[in-house]
Amino acid sequence: MMRTDWRDHDWQLIHTIPQSPTLHMALDDVLTHEVGAGRRAPTLRIWEWAAPAVVIGRFQSLRNEVDTAAAQRHGIEVVRRVSGGGAMFIEPGNTITYSIYAPLSLIKDMSFQQAYAFMDAWVIEALGELGIKAWYQPLNDITSAGGKIAGAAQAHRGGAVLHHVTMAYDINAAKMLEVLRIGREKLSDKGTTSAAKRVDPLRSQTGLPREAVIARMIATFRRLRGLGDDSLLASELADAESLAQGKFASAAWLADVP
Amino acid sequence: MHGEYKMPGGKLVVIDLDLHDDRLANVQLSGDFFLEPDSALQTIHAALIGQPADADEATLASVLHDALSSEVMMYGVSPEAIAVAVRRALHRSPEA
Repeated sequence: MMRTDWRDHDWQLIHTIPQSPTLHMALDDVLTHEVGAGRRAPTLRIWEWAAPAVVIGRFQSLRNEVDTAAAQRHGIEVVRRVSGGGAMFIEPGNTITYSIYAPLSLIKDMSFQQAYAFMDAWVIEALGELGIKAWYQPLNDITSAGGKIAGAAQAHRGGAVLHHVTMAYDINAAKMLEVLRIGREKLSDKGTTSAAKRVDPLRSQTGLPREAVIARMIATFRRLRGLGDDSLLASELADAESLAQGKFASAAWLADVP
Repeated sequence: MHGEYKMPGGKLVVIDLDLHDDRLANVQLSGDFFLEPDSALQTIHAALIGQPADADEATLASVLHDALSSEVMMYGVSPEAIAVAVRRALHRSPEA
């Protein structure tokens, strides 16, 4: 396998109507697989959330991370994603989430640390255009002088890499701390945990509506990497809906790490 | 029994386990680390189950190195960090 560059690929954008948390989990699974199999061109997908959610990492303990009674009380769905990393607290309109599905050739021979920064270099540039000096903070954060902006996670599947990122646009920290459990050991190294790291959301940093931030990000990706406008195939959506119901909504998957 | 270790420069590594006849049982590793493929989680559990309760960190790390093929990729976690979390679980009371 030869190393490829961004411009060697015909990048496509998917940015559709709000979808449920389990469908988002399933779309990441299906689209990574489709790109790996060569049936879909490498794709940037911008997520729109239909409902609030806590998204826990592939290897996180459900009961250690989430106060499920508090989540239920607030009507927050708890889902497990396919990639590792930490828990995210999502409210529609408060986050900007995107996925990149790329052939593994794009990050061939890179260390994890290099691959994370490489996949998000365009976002660092877009943030700069919005007046935010941001940089990559290993292992998997995008940060700024004001605080953390985003967290990334990657998963490798059958010839493709899934790289997805959740950025804080706005945040309800009080509700987040009710729903996520923050352990003491987590605080021992860096002084804070992923979810509670001093977050400086994009709303206060840019003064722009969320839609304007997303539009800037898309424009920057388009200019740097090339980007066509695409939509989900009916078959991709059907596969994802079936996987959302069969796997990602199941108690067995959610409690796979109890 | 429950042990947590924040790997320096890495992620949170958590071990829950029981002891049966002074051997590790019902081992569950969790945390916000990255592991590829995800089936390596079960390989890690299988390697730890049955280890003696007095196995030291170096022994546990070595058992994990032997069990994990070179195909397994770890980011923010390591055999050594898992071994520390196991030892912490074994040294702490259940409510700690």
